[in-house]
Amino acid sequence: MTPKYLLKRLGQAILTFLVTMTVSFLLYQAMPGGPTEAMRSVILSQSGGSVDIDRLNRMIQLYTNVNPDQPMHVQYFNYASDVILRQDLGTSFFKNEKVTTLIMQRIPWSMFISVYALALGYSLSIFLGVMTAYREKSRFDSTVSSLIIGLNSIPYYIVGVVLIYFLAIQNNYFPTGGRIGSGIAAGYNPEFMLSLVKHAALPAISMGALATSGALAMRGNAIRVLGEDYIRVAQLRGLRETRIATQYLGHNSILPMYTQFMIGIAGVFSSAVIVEEVFAYPGMGLLMFEAVKTQDYPLLMGTLIVFTAISLTAIFIADLTYTLIDPRISVGEE
Amino acid sequence: MRTSNQNDSDPDQDVVFEVRDLEVTFGTNRGESRVVRNVDFDIYRNETLGMVGESGSGKSMTSSALMNAVVSPGETSGEVTYYPPGGGEPISVLDLDEEELRKFRWGEVAMVFQGAMSSFNPVKKVRGHFKETLEDHNRDVEAGLERAHQILGDLYLDPDRVLDSYPYELSGGMKQRALVALALILEPEVLVMDEPTAALDLLMQRSIVSLLKDLKEEYDLTIIFITHDLPLLTKLADRLVVMYAFDIVEVGSTEELLYDAAHPYTRSLLNATPDLNAPIEEMQSISGSKPDPVTNIPGCSYRPRCPMADESCAEAEPPMADRGNGHRTACFYHDDVADEIPIPAMEAAEEGGEGE
Repeated sequence: MTPKYLLKRLGQAILTFLVTMTVSFLLYQAMPGGPTEAMRSVILSQSGGSVDIDRLNRMIQLYTNVNPDQPMHVQYFNYASDVILRQDLGTSFFKNEKVTTLIMQRIPWSMFISVYALALGYSLSIFLGVMTAYREKSRFDSTVSSLIIGLNSIPYYIVGVVLIYFLAIQNNYFPTGGRIGSGIAAGYNPEFMLSLVKHAALPAISMGALATSGALAMRGNAIRVLGEDYIRVAQLRGLRETRIATQYLGHNSILPMYTQFMIGIAGVFSSAVIVEEVFAYPGMGLLMFEAVKTQDYPLLMGTLIVFTAISLTAIFIADLTYTLIDPRISVGEE
Repeated sequence: MRTSNQNDSDPDQDVVFEVRDLEVTFGTNRGESRVVRNVDFDIYRNETLGMVGESGSGKSMTSSALMNAVVSPGETSGEVTYYPPGGGEPISVLDLDEEELRKFRWGEVAMVFQGAMSSFNPVKKVRGHFKETLEDHNRDVEAGLERAHQILGDLYLDPDRVLDSYPYELSGGMKQRALVALALILEPEVLVMDEPTAALDLLMQRSIVSLLKDLKEEYDLTIIFITHDLPLLTKLADRLVVMYAFDIVEVGSTEELLYDAAHPYTRSLLNATPDLNAPIEEMQSISGSKPDPVTNIPGCSYRPRCPMADESCAEAEPPMADRGNGHRTACFYHDDVADEIPIPAMEAAEEGGEGE
């Protein structure tokens, strides 16, 4: 890997980030009842129309990082420099707190269920894909394949609602929402940990169901790899079955899916918006959802920017690490 | 049906593999496909046995059966007995359980086959292939890798460079030789080579063949060499096995089969072999087409294409007739074959030789 390649990829990621930020900024500004309008009307209605216009503009700038008096490009420039140079995403209208503070509070929770969901979904995808390929055309294969097709045809939030109904309301195995049981002290004690896992389980399962869509692609890859000569030679060489299944079949079948898996991280984060609402799980997604409901523009922009940054980072890491899992990919040699 | 007492092992020979009544079948939509039928033969220790026959005659299936490695859903039946060196307990290969079979493969019998280009895991270095083979057979990895260095050196490869490479970084000839080295890493008794040179150019083919001769001496190997390339075999093999229609039709020493072939198919095969010294008019292809593994031809399987066939060939399957010196052939008229089907090239060569 050459530094030139690294810089090129980093440059592309940053460019994508800037474009996303610009487009979202413009779209929000162009919306009827855009952020400054909304802010203005909120303040005016609260103060009963007795605020002078200069003070109003200053307040708006304080909250949104945008001065409504300035022309659009100056507004954009100010906003962007705040975001990039000072990591300042403005202040939430309704929560009256720095957007960055709010997001930082929520991110660990979202990370928790997303990582949980990804680990669950991807390991299940890989495992089921390889198993169905090994037993291609068997009853096991057709059952699992149809189940996965079925699961992927049902939207994940419906899966979530069904899970709540059966496992939380009917049977009480899991809580219906929230992220921690009431009255449990935070700390490294088993009670707290168990409560943490129980609350995260259902959202993670319903998001993980989304990630199992990889199983069918994995199955196809594994069937192709099973026909390769090196698998037969490995069997003739008397290698252990577990080694053949993991280092030969598993590894080679994952190769075409690696990038897709990394991009899937973004997909799982975006699904968090709805899943967290369904399970009343106070993470980033719920924060974004609330921001939409309350027209809290700074918060909405902030969460969007953070989601973008996470997705771009995941794809960037995928690019850089691809050569580690497939030595034939030589990055940077053109 | 041939009786097995006609095929009892030659008592003077040290047998390493004894194959009896070997059958390989596949169930297909059109019915049962029998791709190896009732095959009997022996492999002697430290010999090079050549197997020839047209595509789909059962050569590869027969050799896979030696390791009980017929691809699923194929069914293998019969007896394959392996005699370990030093008079150990004979092993019935088809009765081994999974773990025993795993140990047997590569430890006793190794196989180099057609797809050397793709025989290596593309995401693993060559060294990794050697290491995992040693590990999974519970061998000393250090000593094994040292041995790998030596074998690779014997094959005119730079050991460190090859071991530190990924398969895609090696040329076809290098991969082929690395695979031969990998086959020898556990010091097997028997090396099966299934068209190992098919994908290589002529020069590389010849150099690999001459390497094999040296390796055989150095590592006390028994080699089974499967190919379509008859001229190549005549330079390499001690004995030849000719297969036609999923069964062996003739066995004998290379000399015997070249100059005194007693089966119409063998003679036609020799006539069909291109030879730079013989005029093109003398090259004769064998008319007719190869048999279908699903249909059962009553009597002699070569009958539909044989110029000598008559009613008796249709009535019964010809038994393996012994012509002495371990030369056996499955033809009723083995004494007349030489007159009926002359081999012009061979006669010309003989006459030329006498004239000098």
